[in-house]
Amino acid sequence: MSSVDYLLHESSVGYAIFQVVHQGDVVGNRLKEVQDASQDLALFGKMVKLVNFAPYRGAAEALENINLVSEGVLSDYLRFNLELNLPKPSKKKKITLGVSDKNLAGSIKASFSGVECETGETSEVVADFLRGLRFHAGKLLKGLQEGDVDRAQLGLGHAYSRAKVKFSVQKNDNHIIQAIASLDHVDKSLNTFSMRVREWYGWHFPELIRIVSDNHTYAKLALAIGNKRTITQDSLHDIAAIVNDDQDIAQAIIDAARVSMGQDISDADLDNVSKFANRVVKQAEYRRSLFQYLVNKMGVVAPNLATLIGEVVAARLISHAGSLTNLSKYPASTVQILGAEKALFRALKTKGNTPKYGLIYHSSFIGRAGQKNKGRISRFLANKCSIASRIDNFSEEPSTKFGEALRKQVEERLDFYATGAAPTKNEDSMKSAMDAVLADIKVDGPSEDAEMANITPRAVQKQEKKSKDKKEKKEKSKDKDVKEEKKDKKRRHSEVNGDDEVTEKKKKKKSKKEDSNSD
Amino acid sequence: MAFTPRGGRGGDRGGRGGFGGGRGGDRGGFSRGGARGGRGDSRGGRGGGRGAPRGGRGAPRGRGGAGARGGAKTIIEPHRHPGIFVARGKEDMLVTKNFCPGESVYGEKRISVENSGGLNEDGTPNVTKTEYRVWNPFRSKLAAGVLGGLDEIFIKPGSKVLYLGAASGTSVSHVADIVGPTGTVFAVEFSHRSGRDLINMATHRTNVIPIIEDARHPLRYRMLVSMVDVIFADVAQPDQARIVGLNAHLFLKVGGGVVISIKANCIDSTAPAEQVFAREVQKLRDERMKPLEQLTLEPFERDHCVVVGRYVRSTT
Repeated sequence: MSSVDYLLHESSVGYAIFQVVHQGDVVGNRLKEVQDASQDLALFGKMVKLVNFAPYRGAAEALENINLVSEGVLSDYLRFNLELNLPKPSKKKKITLGVSDKNLAGSIKASFSGVECETGETSEVVADFLRGLRFHAGKLLKGLQEGDVDRAQLGLGHAYSRAKVKFSVQKNDNHIIQAIASLDHVDKSLNTFSMRVREWYGWHFPELIRIVSDNHTYAKLALAIGNKRTITQDSLHDIAAIVNDDQDIAQAIIDAARVSMGQDISDADLDNVSKFANRVVKQAEYRRSLFQYLVNKMGVVAPNLATLIGEVVAARLISHAGSLTNLSKYPASTVQILGAEKALFRALKTKGNTPKYGLIYHSSFIGRAGQKNKGRISRFLANKCSIASRIDNFSEEPSTKFGEALRKQVEERLDFYATGAAPTKNEDSMKSAMDAVLADIKVDGPSEDAEMANITPRAVQKQEKKSKDKKEKKEKSKDKDVKEEKKDKKRRHSEVNGDDEVTEKKKKKKSKKEDSNSD
Repeated sequence: MAFTPRGGRGGDRGGRGGFGGGRGGDRGGFSRGGARGGRGDSRGGRGGGRGAPRGGRGAPRGRGGAGARGGAKTIIEPHRHPGIFVARGKEDMLVTKNFCPGESVYGEKRISVENSGGLNEDGTPNVTKTEYRVWNPFRSKLAAGVLGGLDEIFIKPGSKVLYLGAASGTSVSHVADIVGPTGTVFAVEFSHRSGRDLINMATHRTNVIPIIEDARHPLRYRMLVSMVDVIFADVAQPDQARIVGLNAHLFLKVGGGVVISIKANCIDSTAPAEQVFAREVQKLRDERMKPLEQLTLEPFERDHCVVVGRYVRSTT
């Protein structure tokens, strides 16, 4: 299977089809003489003969072709050229064409019945031929001048790379990443500025800090009150409007202003304080709108993930992974410690304990779990996050149904740790979520959904068993040996299962992984 | 001063930052020249190492290099490797000949030297100016390797270089300077963000071909690359050796060079660095690359090494 009749050389100037005149041999292919021969144009030129060289008829066509070729798709231009230049196949013998890419080889085989393809991976002879063609391309291609190939490469390289940068798959993710980063910065500066307002205005009206502790309200009050001597009983309503219509607080402020021990302030000074306070108030408003933007954006890009752990943590996860696609590719164990890399690598180096949680620590769930169960709930939550991110990434219609179901599951798991109340079966909760989604979208792709529904039973079985195990474990928690044994048993069980279902869909694997991670 | 290892390194860097200072002189008629000179006096004015020059990126022409202007004091000597030069002034610096004079790529200093080439026809002295750009070994692993004393880097005027892991194109610009107008640099970078800067850099240097694509899939950019003399790889991936092998089998001439910078932490953070390097060198051997030398990049980078090899396709 080593003979090859024709070779396809794709270059920046066009497609070239060569006929192999002198066959190479597999056995001696790695001999020094053979390798040297392909370096020598005089010798290599005798081994191949140019059948046809089809240059691109412009930069646009070149770009279109390189995009298709890099994806392994047969372009019309190439198809046309192959049709024209390969001899009509006879019934007895098929033509073997040497190409570089196995994807392109597949496309060619699919559209030309009489053509067999060899790639550089399947045959070293072909690989060497193609290397030789690349090496001598400038000389072998007829009608080219010195430097034509280089110029074409330069132009095409720029065009291709520009197009790559321009067309980015994760357009929305980038905005989320930037928004969460800006939010952090705004928060930070808002905090320092608020402290400054309190410090500055505090010289004039020190009692106000005691009465109003909220930064934003304080800044607004500082702006509204201005000189404390100007407020009288009449301004009660205005002040109350700022402090949530709380008459008591407003009254307290007015009383405090009357007996304040703060220094008097000149108009010019007060003007500056007011300007600054105004800035802070504006900044706080901007922060609110930015947050709203983030929430809306998350609702479109990653609704389930956002519902599960909250928009901010979800956005941080995406930002840390680089994109939602990256996040959905991570295993749950990685999601669990995302953001704790420093601690993780330190632990790996010193062979200490690896961290239990990274960014997901900031979700409310972990704080609510007991000290002993923090690691467990973190692991559970990470699994659910992983599922949610995958649903978000691969589903076409955004919906929060799964996020809600997953969130409920985590809640129940928390409850289970605290009180021992049995959580709902995974099967049931997933099925109800699926039904809700189906009811919502009126079944766009029933096949896919059926598949999704299929996966639940198996995943559930195990979860059920696991929870049983857990219960038993609880009872015998003092007896460590028993526990170990049980773990072993469970592991074996999952292995057996794994063997059975090797051929199953990826989705299933995912859920399986999720399971084995959580035990 | 807290002398944790990191702090120490930082200090070191600061020292290097001062590298170009101390020179300055006046740039005839350039109003800021005096101020620059003053800055040169306070040694280490550029301190801050890696981060600092970045601010100057994209600065208008004439800004970055003014400080290290080569007066009569600076003498440019060719380095052992063709295409690389050493500027001998108060301190020695590695420099490359600027491909497009008058521009800094990332805010690095420039030195221009006048070389008299006899008299013109009308009797005036024929003075041509050559501009050199300072190559900071703390920012470029290749520069660190050259300073560390690599025997052979294969990159010389006229070579074709496949540069994997081009990032923003800072080191690439120096490689482009070395290979000159007759050579070509194929700069491969996967990240779109840094690819943007790479493309911008490449617009001014016509010998750089930017390729925004994953180096793991060399077939995707096979139409853009011809056979090359050397592959330089700085990709910091666990499967780096495999990536280099894939590219070498497709694009590297027989007997061509391979220069790889290896960061031990990126390949295995738990094993000791020496062990990681040894393993990588073995992987290279399996990819039919004959290792020639291995060099640690201390003191410029920690736990990094450069491995130079030769691609030997025939097994006999």
